Amino acid sequence: MGQKTQELTPAEAWQPLPAAEWNEAAARHLLQRMGFSAAPAELARVLQDGPVRSAERYFTAMPPLPKPRQIADLEADGPELFRRIANGSAEEKRIAAQEAREQSREALFDLTIKWLQLASRPENSPAEKWLLFLSDVWVVGVEKVKNSALIYQHQDILRQAALGRADGLARAVSRSPAMVVYLDLQQSNPKAPNENFARELFELFTLGEGNYTENDIKQAARAFTGYRQRQGEFAFAPRQHDNGSKTIFGQTGPFNGDDVIGLVFKQKAAGTFLPKEMVRFYLSETPLPAAHTDALGAWWAGEDYDLRKLAVKFFSSRLFFAPAYRAGFIKSPVQFYLGLVQDLQLSVVPLPRQLLGALRSMGQMPFDPPNVRGWVGGRSWINSATLAVRRQLISALLAPINEEALNGDEQIELAAAYADGVTNFTLDQSQLAQWARLPAAERAHELVRRYVPSLAGTVLEREVAAFLERSTQHSQAAAATRDALATLLESPDYQLC
Amino acid sequence: MKNPAHLLPATRREFLKSGAKGVGLLAFSRFAPGFLVESAYAQAPAPEKDRTILVLVQLAGGNDGLNTVVPFADPNYRRLRPTLGLPGDQLLKLNDSLALNSGCAALHQLFQDGKLGIVQNVGYPNPNRSHFRSTEIWETASGSNEFLPTGWLGRFFDNACSGTPPSGDPCGVNISNEVPQSFLSELPHPTFSLAAGRNNRRQQGENLALLEQMVRTPAGQDDHDNAGYLRHTMMDALVTEKKFQKVLANYQTKTAYPGTPFGGSLRNVAALIAAGTATRVYYVSLGGFDTHNNQAGTHANLLRQLAEGLAAFQSDLEAKKLDSQVLTMTFSEFGRRPSENESRGTDHGTAAPLFVLGSRLKPGLHGSAPSLELERNQDMAYTTDFRAVYSTVLDQWLGCKSSAILGANYQPLGFI
Repeated sequence: MGQKTQELTPAEAWQPLPAAEWNEAAARHLLQRMGFSAAPAELARVLQDGPVRSAERYFTAMPPLPKPRQIADLEADGPELFRRIANGSAEEKRIAAQEAREQSREALFDLTIKWLQLASRPENSPAEKWLLFLSDVWVVGVEKVKNSALIYQHQDILRQAALGRADGLARAVSRSPAMVVYLDLQQSNPKAPNENFARELFELFTLGEGNYTENDIKQAARAFTGYRQRQGEFAFAPRQHDNGSKTIFGQTGPFNGDDVIGLVFKQKAAGTFLPKEMVRFYLSETPLPAAHTDALGAWWAGEDYDLRKLAVKFFSSRLFFAPAYRAGFIKSPVQFYLGLVQDLQLSVVPLPRQLLGALRSMGQMPFDPPNVRGWVGGRSWINSATLAVRRQLISALLAPINEEALNGDEQIELAAAYADGVTNFTLDQSQLAQWARLPAAERAHELVRRYVPSLAGTVLEREVAAFLERSTQHSQAAAATRDALATLLESPDYQLC
Repeated sequence: MKNPAHLLPATRREFLKSGAKGVGLLAFSRFAPGFLVESAYAQAPAPEKDRTILVLVQLAGGNDGLNTVVPFADPNYRRLRPTLGLPGDQLLKLNDSLALNSGCAALHQLFQDGKLGIVQNVGYPNPNRSHFRSTEIWETASGSNEFLPTGWLGRFFDNACSGTPPSGDPCGVNISNEVPQSFLSELPHPTFSLAAGRNNRRQQGENLALLEQMVRTPAGQDDHDNAGYLRHTMMDALVTEKKFQKVLANYQTKTAYPGTPFGGSLRNVAALIAAGTATRVYYVSLGGFDTHNNQAGTHANLLRQLAEGLAAFQSDLEAKKLDSQVLTMTFSEFGRRPSENESRGTDHGTAAPLFVLGSRLKPGLHGSAPSLELERNQDMAYTTDFRAVYSTVLDQWLGCKSSAILGANYQPLGFI
């Protein structure tokens, strides 16, 4: 574990990968880590373009996510619900609050499915994974924010700022109504500045522990007093703002929130914090030596904290392609699911109860992180309970949907998708029948080559062949093929990228 | 053949149906590590008669100790808590100066029955107010400025489990979203995660034999990387899964557990203990204690869930005559600030009391109550180090030399 950086010096680590080291394996690595899978069409183009041009292309602009219908409905109905909750009789309050919760929950499901659909398109995957990364740094959670419309808006704020400057992103997020609620800025005033946002701004969003003092937090909390959200819009309440002088990072002045963010991005740790988070999210559970992140951080600070430049530099660097980082990273549940969807050439199924239940049980319900630190990732994704859910998800994606078992709403949802011509929610069974015609050894090779190329030619490929050999009749052969495919997707190797 | 539409089985029946299709465990014995195969052949061996069990309950988010064990007679309490201060007549008195929150009625009863101990004002020097860091300090039993890679229970496993219990059962079982940091160990030990709540459903794959072949370690491959970790976890999971499923599905009890997920989780712990599982540590998490605003109702409800769950658990163990084997202990990463904030909540603080529950402990109050002679926004100074609590549990309950786990000697407390 200790030799992750190989022999690359801090200066060499961030140089572009030499053309001589660019090949199909490198292109697969790039697509799997930067996105969710090495989809064949993307692979061909990336292989041709090389890492720098590919990264530049994927990070040119963020794909738009139009406001999901139920989020719009929730926004429209919000004022009336608030009014009933505020003014109604006790019984009316209870009913309205219940309705608001229900509607917000449904809207969150709508948002999540729409986002997964957007992210599942291979050409969007690197940008949407980048957004997932940023929202795993600038965390808000629906459990506390409660209003899903604010959750959509928060993602949109990140989306708009995702390829700009990091200090601009920080200022935008400090005004995100979801954040104002999530970290208690809403209640913060000069008499009682709430420290929650200021603390996490330093600890978890921009600098990391050890790069600020408790007093810096107390003073910064004063600078963010007066930040409010009213009915989903950011509002600054000047009378609730502490105009007094503050001393933060050794500087003294009547700082406001934006000034504090300016001071943050004068700290050396601001340059290295996000690169370290990228390493953790994209590369390895083992941090890089400080000299390596320092080198990238110093360069990035000189580039005015441009996020797009950072992404391109990172994903085309020699270090990113170092042998130590190939095929040893545990897929997050979102990556596991979207990777399956892409590998099996499926569409995201518009059935929230089933799909989102599985994501939650695997430990990663989008928009609902465990806490303000976000998801820990790595080995923490894997335990006996989450592995069982991964196995079940695979079985479900390989067999036709039993539509009779769906409830009415779900049947309508599915019928609407069929009407739009989208039917590939689970594996095409005729594909299984087609494979079943191949001799066992050839079939095993085909499955391994497509889905777990790292096992090609190994003893495990021969064991898959032996397993298939045992079911010779054609009807059995299709079922055995499905079982073999399921097992390959359940294998330790497929959980890694 | 139609397959279930749901990605997860919707009913217990559906689950059992899908589970029944699993391929026999022994089909892969050729590839399984020796101890797994032995345990599979042996089924459940007789448990050691007098082994003690620890059930650790995490109150995640930072429990407000001052409104849990309330110093109702202290005028400072009223001064620091002008709106959140709980009126004396709504409290459950422990003595002339202390009382429990009204949500703790079931715990109050246990206190009167001599089964509940309260260790007061527990904390550590130079307290950290970050959830993550302070949780880490509690779970690794480190000093405030010290970073330890392993958890205190993981080090107990290292010392006491020498590999794994002879039955092949996990050393630790957690019912929480993640494997707790407390379980991290130097040597690999099987641990097992159950989902929260009573209905812990699992499905068996339809071709476990092939999967089990996939899971075995290829010859000559380094087993310490993520691939090795995945293989170990899968193999352990496949074995334990079958055994536990059976236990939870067949558990018979006359005790009515509350319908909360926490109640369901404790029922499952009781089921596993009653089945003679060799596991000595269970870890159950109850979240939501980070009460920055409008705390009063939320906090009382959380304490009610805690109290009612624990009381049902204790009564179930007593009915099964297992209570003398089990000690239950709560902990939280920190207490909350004595001064309430402007949002009728409380911010991150320092020391807090914790509960110990069981039939073989010295009940009542232990340690000393915190002094509330405090300025506004000043924090309480702890009087009992949490590592002294751990050392008492390790030495006197789990029978493991605590200095080996904690790296120092702590004065034992009198609760066992």
